[in-house]
Amino acid sequence: MSRRGRRRTGVRRYLNPVTVGGLLLVVVTAAPLYWMAVTSFKSPVEAGASPPTPFPEDPTLDNYRHALDAADMGRYLYNSAVVCVSSTVIVLALALLAGYALARLPMRGRGPVMVGLLMISVFPVIAVVTPLYLVERELGLLNSHAGLIIPYVAFHLPFAVWMLRNSLLDLPRELEEAATIDGAGVLRTLRSVILPGAGPALFTAGVFTFAATWTEFLMALTLNSENDFRTIPVGIAIYGDRYQVPYGVIFAAAMAATVPVALLVLVFRRAVLSGLTDGAVKG
Amino acid sequence: MSAPSLTRQRARVGWFLTLPALVVVAAVTIFPVAYSVAISFTRVGLTYDGLRVEDWTLSNYATMLGSSAWREALVFTLGYTVVTVAVELVLGIAVAVLLDRLEVGRGWLLALLLIPWSMITVVSAQLWGYLYNATYGAVTWGLGLLLDEPPVILGTPAPAITAMAVADIWKTTPFVAVIVLAGLVRIPAERYEAAEVDGAGAWRTFVSVVLPALRPVVAVAVLFRVLQAFGIFDLPFVLTQGGPGTATQSLAMLGYRALFHDLDMGMGAAVATATGLLVLGCCLLFLRVFRSHVDEAGEGGAT
Repeated sequence: MSRRGRRRTGVRRYLNPVTVGGLLLVVVTAAPLYWMAVTSFKSPVEAGASPPTPFPEDPTLDNYRHALDAADMGRYLYNSAVVCVSSTVIVLALALLAGYALARLPMRGRGPVMVGLLMISVFPVIAVVTPLYLVERELGLLNSHAGLIIPYVAFHLPFAVWMLRNSLLDLPRELEEAATIDGAGVLRTLRSVILPGAGPALFTAGVFTFAATWTEFLMALTLNSENDFRTIPVGIAIYGDRYQVPYGVIFAAAMAATVPVALLVLVFRRAVLSGLTDGAVKG
Repeated sequence: MSAPSLTRQRARVGWFLTLPALVVVAAVTIFPVAYSVAISFTRVGLTYDGLRVEDWTLSNYATMLGSSAWREALVFTLGYTVVTVAVELVLGIAVAVLLDRLEVGRGWLLALLLIPWSMITVVSAQLWGYLYNATYGAVTWGLGLLLDEPPVILGTPAPAITAMAVADIWKTTPFVAVIVLAGLVRIPAERYEAAEVDGAGAWRTFVSVVLPALRPVVAVAVLFRVLQAFGIFDLPFVLTQGGPGTATQSLAMLGYRALFHDLDMGMGAAVATATGLLVLGCCLLFLRVFRSHVDEAGEGGAT
């Protein structure tokens, strides 16, 4: 940003190490993605050809049809959507309440609560997955949407609480004070003053929570192992067998799982970038 | 109503609002962790109705410490974490500097970088598995053009570990780059100008102006990446299944195998507890080393 003053003209302006490096970065990042997209339109024979073909010679949608019908990927996508949307909504609701309280209300012990949440959010899933499995088995929650929603909410709440609390700190206090002087209680203040102001942070936290739950694998693999309740990462991970991996079908399912989320992230990239970096810059 | 009692009332409401979140988090994380730690000190029998505690014992830890599988997994996970995070850090800083200087298409390039980052790890693992395939993988084919005898990438330990690291680096370097870029654009222009006045060249400016200013953001990026890399599971599960042999068996893979394949609950819980302790130790060490930065941020946050 700071050193953009240097102007070059003509070809030299584009033929410098920075632009060349940029192009290289584009190629390295995009090539595997391109390969996935192209293979999803190839026949099984062409997907297994060596040397590989750069474009599908006879583009087909068979892989997509097969993924949705025979491979049950439609069902997995549906399960993922139900689980992730529910988790995200619950996370946002709870995080808004907690984030507001931790930002604004005079509670003792806010600091330890925040640090505790941070510690929990970095804990490796493998350390909790067995007891979770046993408890859910006891409660009959294994292989159900709720059985995945509950741990997803718990694991993604800390980050959302941090994000909302940090952004609510930046909200001007005057409106809130005015509301308090008008005799509005905490809940009314929350609804009429804080909720509108928290919009952007809620949005960012929502995109993050959704993306994180959409990609989660270990809990989904262990808690919802039955076909009817598998989410899309599990379906994609265990499709095929030891001797033959039908990559065309896998990549068709992968495209169906990746493109919507990629579009979400691309359209709202400002929110995503600010969410990623605010934490780092503010600590 | 007097001021102190109003404060007390507001504090009560505050806890009331925070409680739902805390209860959910505690029920799903703190309780299971405690339970898992307890199991790690028992000899348990797996019966049809669940676990039956047969005995309290330290033998799970003794077995774990004595087993070569655990030591190998520990060494692999530590080495893998250090190497991948170091490479990602160097590449991430390079990419961030590049993005900072790019005059055209910066927004688009950032957007492109977000795609691998937001991808399901399982999907990228399948994708790289296809690229590395011994008979029709594009990478194998490309290596065949360069080498007389390209290795069976996922069938030989060193190439398999490298291949896994490459897949990981491809997916997570954007995260590091984006965070570093956020720190980079905040460096005031005057510092560059001062360096220029002092006659510092590009490299010298980078080393003595840019890098020190990036310390806090780099610290955060490294912490997140270390913790993530240390718990790595999805990528080896799909790409290598921990193989060839046990060459890419991470601690999380080992714990998963003990718990859900061998149904050795005590051993699995011991591995999980030890991994958790190592992560916790990492965090505390980090807080100690970067305490000044964290305190600063904490105070900044309190205003």
